Amino acid sequence: MVSVAQESPYFVTYDHHMEEPGNLDIEVSATTDVPRTGQKYYFAPWMEFEYGVTARWTTELYIEGQTTYGDSTVFTGWRFENRFRPMKREHWINPVLYLEYESLNEASRIQKEISGGGPDITSPNSELRNTPAHELETKLILSSDFHDWNLAENFIVEKNLSRGEGFEFGYAVGFYRPLATMASGSNCRFCGENFSAGVEFYGGLGSTLNFSGRNTGNYVAPVLSWLISDNSTLRFSPGFGLTHESSRVLFRFGYSYEIAGIGSKVSKLFGGKR
Amino acid sequence: MSRPSTFVVCSLLVVLGTMLGQNPEYRQDPTWRAPDDDARKVNPLANRPGAAAGGKKLFLRNCAECHGDGSGIEKKHSADFQLLVVQEQSDGTIFWKITNGNTGRGMPSFSKLPELERWQLVLYLRTLKPVPSPL
Repeated sequence: MVSVAQESPYFVTYDHHMEEPGNLDIEVSATTDVPRTGQKYYFAPWMEFEYGVTARWTTELYIEGQTTYGDSTVFTGWRFENRFRPMKREHWINPVLYLEYESLNEASRIQKEISGGGPDITSPNSELRNTPAHELETKLILSSDFHDWNLAENFIVEKNLSRGEGFEFGYAVGFYRPLATMASGSNCRFCGENFSAGVEFYGGLGSTLNFSGRNTGNYVAPVLSWLISDNSTLRFSPGFGLTHESSRVLFRFGYSYEIAGIGSKVSKLFGGKR
Repeated sequence: MSRPSTFVVCSLLVVLGTMLGQNPEYRQDPTWRAPDDDARKVNPLANRPGAAAGGKKLFLRNCAECHGDGSGIEKKHSADFQLLVVQEQSDGTIFWKITNGNTGRGMPSFSKLPELERWQLVLYLRTLKPVPSPL
């Protein structure tokens, strides 16, 4: 049985579309960079398991690491994320509440979001991996669908529980639309209906100790997704750094595979009804 | 709590959520009604029956997992679209229900599909042969 979530092409921005209840989305993604002078090339993969608990509650578990050229490969931690959609129906603006616990170290480079000044990409891994970063992150996600376009805005507040860095802030804004708005009768893979494209903007806004867009990483990133089969999607995004603290270019790519109805199968194992 | 313990607790929460997240039993929700303006909307593809083929593809991708594919597969207590109680509803009502979902009862919103694709779904549902609703 096939089932698919038409994945949004965003890497950083969240919209209000939740995982279908009972479906598990397994995604392997990576962030890599074209460094500026003084920065190092790195490759930061992560794996995420996204599950639709209900039609208004999606939960995710992340595991991440990174390799820095000329340095080392390190495990950088895990994240547990939940998104709740408070409103039952579609509205002009659809809010979603986001809460995440992160058990990371400062070597984390996946940059799933950028808050405060962004990650430290100049210090050696040996130093960064020993600096824990237990963080709580909240987001207010606002998202609208309008004439086949999606427009989403995320406001990020993050608190490092390990150190007194104050509250750190960040943002992400994006829009996208499918390249075709009608489905053909055939199972074509290169039809416009299988592609979505857009742009996202994201970056840090400093912290309560230094609230400013200065000295923070900021990017503009075209995004593209391709539904390569009924249950798998490829995504790609080159993000161009807008400030000196940003990498010159961040490349992101990801592959996701959706397993439909896994919730009911697990439920049956424990004697639940389908 | 140590970090490994926190990880285990979070993983158990995911499994627990998996078990609790299932729709227990489907019954028509009398409160799930499209506003009159939406219920009166006309399918812009009504004169393009060929578009139903695309609707079928979308149906198999997005709906059949819960609603069945017409071959008698097991369903998760979701509505069978061949039932009269479904087929008697207006195109606009079905479109509105696809768009908004009934999130409190486990039916997700499909507003992420382009508008015309949602109308293609409605067009395809109209090709299913209606059967009487069970008492």
